[in-house]
Amino acid sequence: MPAALIRPGLCRVEQIMGTTITLDLADDLPPATLRELADDVFAWMREVDGRFSTYKPDSEVCRFDRGEVLLSEASADLRFVLEACADLWGATDGFFDAYATGRLDPSGFVKGWAAQVASDRLLAAGAGNHCVNSGGDVRVRGLSPSGEPWRIGIRHPWDAMATCLVLTGTDLAVATSGVYERGRHVLDPRRGVPAGGLRSVTVVGTDLGVADAYATAALAMGVTGIGWLDRLDDHTHAVVTDDARQYHSVSLPLTD
Amino acid sequence: MRRAFLAITGLAASTTALVVLKGSPEATQVAQNLPSGQPVNPAGPGADPSAEPAADPAAAASTPSAAPGAPSSPTPTKTTTARPSGTKTTTKAPSAPRTTTKAPQSTTRRVTGAGFDAKDGSETYGYVQVQIVVSGNRIVDAVALSLPSGGESDIHSGDVRSSYDGSGGEVVRKQNANLNTVSGATATSNAYKQSLRAAIEQAF
Repeated sequence: MPAALIRPGLCRVEQIMGTTITLDLADDLPPATLRELADDVFAWMREVDGRFSTYKPDSEVCRFDRGEVLLSEASADLRFVLEACADLWGATDGFFDAYATGRLDPSGFVKGWAAQVASDRLLAAGAGNHCVNSGGDVRVRGLSPSGEPWRIGIRHPWDAMATCLVLTGTDLAVATSGVYERGRHVLDPRRGVPAGGLRSVTVVGTDLGVADAYATAALAMGVTGIGWLDRLDDHTHAVVTDDARQYHSVSLPLTD
Repeated sequence: MRRAFLAITGLAASTTALVVLKGSPEATQVAQNLPSGQPVNPAGPGADPSAEPAADPAAAASTPSAAPGAPSSPTPTKTTTARPSGTKTTTKAPSAPRTTTKAPQSTTRRVTGAGFDAKDGSETYGYVQVQIVVSGNRIVDAVALSLPSGGESDIHSGDVRSSYDGSGGEVVRKQNANLNTVSGATATSNAYKQSLRAAIEQAF
C-alpha cells in the first residue's frame, strides 16, 4: 500500500475516440513535467479523433471520403494513414481493408497508430517508461512503476473481467481484436459477410498500428488466419477459436 | 528415594501443566491484559468474579491429580499459572474491546452504481452494472452485477466445457495475475467505468 502511494509517475484515463485511453507514465519526473507530457498525449489523441473519426461528419476522413478533400490537400497524417492502409491491404492479402464496409474507415489502423505515435513522442521527450492503452491496444516501453517489466493481460474471450494469458516485456506493441464486444463487426472483405472461426486474435510486435491491422486481418481470415500469423516475421500471436481453443507462437513473451 | 520420585513427578506434572497452559496463548494474554483491562472495561469486573470461582475448582481439581503430594514449592507457581486457565472463561470480557476494533468493519456497505449500456458508437450490445463494497471510507471490493452476455456467450461457455477432451491447441483458460494493463478490453470497460464512477459518487 505505501509503495502504491509513493509510486513515481502519473496515470490518467480519458474517453476519446469512442473508447478509453489510459496513459501510465512510470518515469520519476517532476509532477509538472508529467502533467505536461500527459496533456500532450491526450491533446494528440483528441486531434486524431477529430481528424479520423467516422462518426463525425466534419472529420477529415469523412470529408475525404465524400470527395470534399483531395489527396493533395489532405493533412500529412491522413496521407500517411492512407498510405499505411494501402500497404497493409497488400501485406494482409486484402484482408485488412479500410474500405471493407463500403466507405473509408481506417479505424482498424488508426487506434493503434495513434497510441504508437504517442509512445514514440514520449520516448523522444525522455519518458521512456510508459504504457499507453488505446481501447485495448497496448504499447509499453521500459519498466512499470514497480520497476519491473510491464505485465499485459489478454482479455478472456468469454469473460470480460478475466484474462486468459499474461505477457511481459519492456518494448511491446500488443493489439487484440475480438468478436466478443462488438459482435461480428469484422467483415471478410472478399465475401462481404462477417468473418467466422476465430473468437479473438492478439498480435505482438513493435508497431501498434501494424499489430492492430494484422489482428483485424487474421480475425477476418478465420481459421486460416492462424497459419498466416505463423508465417509473419517479427510478430508473435495468440489466437482463440470459436470452439474455445487457444493457439500461440512458441516465442510469445508469456509469463505467469 | 520416594521423595525424589515424588519431586520428579511433581516437577514433571507442573511443567506439563505449564506447557498446557502455555499452549493456549490467548489465556496468558488475557491474564496480562486483565489488570489494565479491568479499570478500562466496566463490563470486565462483572464477569470476572463469576468466572473465577468457577475456574478455581477446575484448577484445584487439576492440581491434586497432577501432583499428589508434590512439594509445596511448585504449587504456588501452579496457582499463579492456574489463574490464567481460570480466566479462560473470562475471554468474553476482553472480547468487548475486541468488538470495538471490529466496529469500523461493521460499517461495510454496498453501493450499487447506475447501469450503463455498453455501446460502440450507436450500437448497444450489453448492459453493465457495478457494485462497490465500502468499508469506512475505503473501497474494498468492486463487483460487476451485470456484464454483456447473451445467447452466444452461453453457447460458448458450453463449448468450453465440452471441448476439454478435444485435440489441437489448448483449451483457453482463465489466468489471474497482477497486471498493469489489459489488451482487448475496450467498450465494456467504458460502461464499467461509468457505473463504477456512479457508485463511487453515490457512496461518498
